[in-house]
Amino acid sequence: MNFHSLRLRMAAWYAGVLALCLVVFGAAVYLGLAGYLERTLRSSLRNDAQSIGEKLLVDVNRKGESFVTGEINEMAPEISGRFIRITRADGSILYQSPAPINQNFVPSKIATLRNWGSQPFSVEDSHAGVHSVLIEAVPFVAPEGNSFLIEVGASAREIHSTLHGLVTTLGLGMPLIIAVAALGGILVMRRALRPLDEITRTAETITSRNFGERLPTIRTGDEIERLTTSLNRMMSRLEDSFQHISRFSADVSHELRTPLTILRGELESLTQYDHLSPAALEVVGSALEEIARLTQIVNQLLEISRLEAGQATREVAVVSVGELAISTAEQMRLLADEKSIRLDYLVSSDVAVVGNASLLKQVVVNLLDNAIKYTPQGGSVELLVEIQGTKAVLEVRDTGIGIPAHALPHLCERFYRADRARTRGSGGAGLGLSIVKSICAAQGGELSIQSSEGQGTRVRIEMPRVNGRPQSPDEDSSREYLRLEH
Amino acid sequence: MRILLIEDEVKLSSFIKRGLVAERYAVDVAKDGRSGLELAQTYQYDLIILDLMLPGMDGSEVLRRIRKENSSVPVLILSARDSVQDKVSNMETGADDYLTKPFAFAELLVRIKALMRRGPVNRASTIRINDLELDRLSQQVKRAGHRIDLTAKEYALLEYLMSNAGRVLSRNMIIEHVWDQSFDGITNIVDVYIRHLRNKVDTGHDSKLLRTVRGVGYTIREGAEA
Repeated sequence: MNFHSLRLRMAAWYAGVLALCLVVFGAAVYLGLAGYLERTLRSSLRNDAQSIGEKLLVDVNRKGESFVTGEINEMAPEISGRFIRITRADGSILYQSPAPINQNFVPSKIATLRNWGSQPFSVEDSHAGVHSVLIEAVPFVAPEGNSFLIEVGASAREIHSTLHGLVTTLGLGMPLIIAVAALGGILVMRRALRPLDEITRTAETITSRNFGERLPTIRTGDEIERLTTSLNRMMSRLEDSFQHISRFSADVSHELRTPLTILRGELESLTQYDHLSPAALEVVGSALEEIARLTQIVNQLLEISRLEAGQATREVAVVSVGELAISTAEQMRLLADEKSIRLDYLVSSDVAVVGNASLLKQVVVNLLDNAIKYTPQGGSVELLVEIQGTKAVLEVRDTGIGIPAHALPHLCERFYRADRARTRGSGGAGLGLSIVKSICAAQGGELSIQSSEGQGTRVRIEMPRVNGRPQSPDEDSSREYLRLEH
Repeated sequence: MRILLIEDEVKLSSFIKRGLVAERYAVDVAKDGRSGLELAQTYQYDLIILDLMLPGMDGSEVLRRIRKENSSVPVLILSARDSVQDKVSNMETGADDYLTKPFAFAELLVRIKALMRRGPVNRASTIRINDLELDRLSQQVKRAGHRIDLTAKEYALLEYLMSNAGRVLSRNMIIEHVWDQSFDGITNIVDVYIRHLRNKVDTGHDSKLLRTVRGVGYTIREGAEA
């Protein structure tokens, strides 16, 4: 999984922000609930204290203290978990409730109070038990004038356990919510970004060969549509300049051809005159050779620009690579024989591709020519045609002088020479491999070159294979063309 | 034999005219499409050589109009465009042959001759140059009465040279005739085969028939010195 993908990053941000919000929210709920619970408890405690004063202590002088004690005991504070204490003005205790049966606190440990004012007040005692005891103290003055302090308290345990429950719920719930939200976020993002994947896929398949193709635009009016539209516009501009370049190079070639024709014609007509000295003929011949070379360069440049403009790939047929390779190699055998080079075939017969037979033939001619040219006397050249998976493979191996490693990446560049001195004598213009590469690219093939200096070179071409009726690779007659729509 | 040459490049038309006149053709030159068409409609030519890129009226248009009135005159197209589509579309309009610039004059001549003798060609079954004899029926070659064994390619090469005896054939012409365009300009295949052929045909004989014309090509010629 790609952790840099927009999808994951967006989902992570989204989950992070959500988690922060949830934590703030949880804290607010916690604090709010804690305050609310304490306020509620205290107000109920104060009510209790006040009602003890107004209902029981009012009569303390008339009915006696034991009546009050008895009445309070009737309320069973030990069962309800309440702490009740009534203190006389001199500090002596009139009543103190027994220990509650839930053992939340020990009443005797709760500090006694002296010198209270006339206003009710709140006390929190944390020494009487595990949880602190919340106490509401209410001063009371009997009608007869003697005053008391009524304290009613309760353990904070219940508040604490309620809050604890809340924390547990939030602690378990929040990660779950965040996880679900993050997952949902990823799904939503994936859905939203699916058009992007499609754009990427389509863009990958657009090469110089099908430059006319455009990305599918989905009329949603959103950012993705805008992106698609501007990508398409960019490709149109690229296509324009691309076509401009190939048109330019074709025009240049055209303009060069007419003067070349005149040059050649005039010089050739010179050679017809009988009165030219052998030395003059030699000069004219040398000039003619250079014209031939210039002509070849112009032709090859034009061919490359045509291949790159995709013009030459329209007429294709099912071609048997093996037959084509062998028949071509046979026509070149003499070139190998001349240098006592062994020319071997390792060709399986049922390899077929869809392609332009004469272009493919040109590839074989170029590769074999190079192999023979750069292999010394007595070496060997192997021609290999085989199937590898869905690929048809054409490989030419030689035991020649090889190519220096630094030159390998540049071999297919126009006019590139691995070694100026070496190839100049062989007459090439440095365009042969450029043409091979252009042809391969135009036919959906791939060219790779391996070489070690002094040991030999392997040039390998892989093309998509077809199962089909291979046609005779020989002459152009009666070939049935399969027109591919681009 | 009268030939109309429609070509706007003065230098090009002048050397073509010179060459054709030397071969005893009568040549009229038109410098643009319109005047060329007028000439073609006015006079009876045996052959029209037509450039495609012309001022005034495009070569293809000239061809279309010529064909409208006169369907029989052979038309040879000269063009710098060498794509298959260009050739096919002009052949469909009614061109009889198509020659791409730059061309060797010898090639133009060979094609003109081929177009002029359209119809049943009277090809002798045996060609003889000096004491070299080639029999087209049995595909046998003899020099001074001794049989020479040739491979199929060597035979095709020799036959091509001998049937154009005395004319210099360029490597290009030889490649396109004996091999095919795929070999064009890439290999020195012609030179190698000529060397082999020379070994078989000329070695051991006083008069050397196969000659190299530097920068131009090869020719087979009677009575040539070594």
